[in-house]
Amino acid sequence: MPYSIVVLIKQVPDMNTVRVDRASGKPMLSGQLAISSYDDYAIEEALRIKEAHGGEITVISAGAASVKDAVARALAMGADRGIIVAVDNINELDTRQVAGILAEQIRRVNPDIVLAGQNSDDYSTGQVGPQVAELLGIPSLGSIASIAAHGPTLTILRDTEDGRQTIEVQTPVMLMAQAGLNEPRYPSLKGIMAAKKKPVDAVADPVATASGRVSWGEPFVPERGVTGILLQDVPTADAAKQLVAWMRERKLV
Amino acid sequence: MSGTILVVAEAGDGGVRPISLELVTAARKVGDLAGCTVTALLMGFGVGGAAEQLGSTCIERLLVADDPALDQLPTEVLAAVLAKAITELNPIAVLVPSTTAGIEYAPRVAARLDLPIASDCIDLSFEDGAVIAVRPVLGGRVQSAVRLSGGGPVVLTIRQGSFENAAIGLGETAAESFSVGSVDTRLKITGISAKERGDVGLDTAETIVGGGRGLKEATNFALVEQLAAALGGAVAATRAVTDAGWRPHHEQIGQTGRVVSPRLYIAVGISGAAQHVTGLQGADTIVAINRDPDAPIFKIASFGIVGDLFELVPAILAELKATA
Repeated sequence: MPYSIVVLIKQVPDMNTVRVDRASGKPMLSGQLAISSYDDYAIEEALRIKEAHGGEITVISAGAASVKDAVARALAMGADRGIIVAVDNINELDTRQVAGILAEQIRRVNPDIVLAGQNSDDYSTGQVGPQVAELLGIPSLGSIASIAAHGPTLTILRDTEDGRQTIEVQTPVMLMAQAGLNEPRYPSLKGIMAAKKKPVDAVADPVATASGRVSWGEPFVPERGVTGILLQDVPTADAAKQLVAWMRERKLV
Repeated sequence: MSGTILVVAEAGDGGVRPISLELVTAARKVGDLAGCTVTALLMGFGVGGAAEQLGSTCIERLLVADDPALDQLPTEVLAAVLAKAITELNPIAVLVPSTTAGIEYAPRVAARLDLPIASDCIDLSFEDGAVIAVRPVLGGRVQSAVRLSGGGPVVLTIRQGSFENAAIGLGETAAESFSVGSVDTRLKITGISAKERGDVGLDTAETIVGGGRGLKEATNFALVEQLAAALGGAVAATRAVTDAGWRPHHEQIGQTGRVVSPRLYIAVGISGAAQHVTGLQGADTIVAINRDPDAPIFKIASFGIVGDLFELVPAILAELKATA
């Protein structure tokens, strides 16, 4: 059966360009933004389901004006339409508030499947997916190794500390994606051009005031848990020599 | 509010899962600061052994929900039972383990009861009547303190390896039966397969070389294999690598894979995500090679090299041969 799929995506600082100032603990953000890594796997999984069974993919993102670029990329990968919720102070809201905003938009679409990255690259709380599902009154699953769709029944392989579970669930359902679920495709030039013509709904959210129940302090660099050696900017051959000598001294090799 | 910290415990391998004992320590720490007791809630099926161990720690009260409906830890049932317990006990704080089950039901319970939540916490304290949690952000490059308030119970999921295990055998707190009631479940667990053992190499290996996504492609794992062979060790991988099909499932070290205790673990192209590091608890010495100076793996490595593994691994192989 064709599936109506929603994919939730979050725009975050590009982790490839984040560095930390050791002295102050301040993260140095280059200003480069990207779709959070695990969300790429969510988009890819949605594309695979659509390619196998037919249907429509709506990608939803909430945040600053720049999220339109994240939505555009998802459309270029193959999603069909986008919904952008303008929330300038999104990082001040707690996850339940963010979940509420996303759930409201998802209800408009009324999908069979909602896919989201299990954790985001920046705060990595892993809370929004399950909380959206709770507010929608649908089941949610994480630690997913594979998804197989047979009409309204999905068969999920889920990994736990005790082994791999096979789980059957009826749509609608929230599924969380991690690295390894699939191999996300890169948008093609054709896809990028086609994305420009796909419908994108811009929704202005009523001003959301932070709940104040979850307040964050300034980031700091944690101390190293072990005393030891960290070689940086050392020529390869030297580094290799030092490591091998160190290991031999300790009879580790 | 009643003055108690509620700890959620899990059973596994016939006893209480060690992370549950870490949570008792964490709860005791906050409890002592806040002037409250510690209550443990153990949920599962056939968990008598775990109940006895938990009851012998320093906790003041033990609730046990032992029910076939909890077999294989279906997250919907766990959520329902925990929500019931929080509503009845009205604790100051609820500590949930960051297990594959805990990370799924804790946020749902928090949303259901409209409670603030902080996840993946590595330290806790209590100041000015509020719980403060420390948690990693930006992939573990930095940490931030989070203050949870609002007047009601606060929910925290705790990362494994953050606290010492609480001692067992201290006394006997009797288990009180906690009823599950009837729960509508929409998730049907139709099968469970035990983790693949493969050969027992990883369990007994003195030296293990692990590879992660930094290797970029399956064929590049040859570097890991060569290094392992040169050291007479075993090959291992991260979950992302095994899930992607580059390596067999039984080589995965981590929360949903193997937990190993080698003398030496060399992490090649591995960032050091908590999920993987959990599997390294028993490793004596960790060496790490990664091109990102802020990668969390360097916080636990006794010897780290920031650089290109595609140059470093061949150089290390050459040096090993030259100095053999």
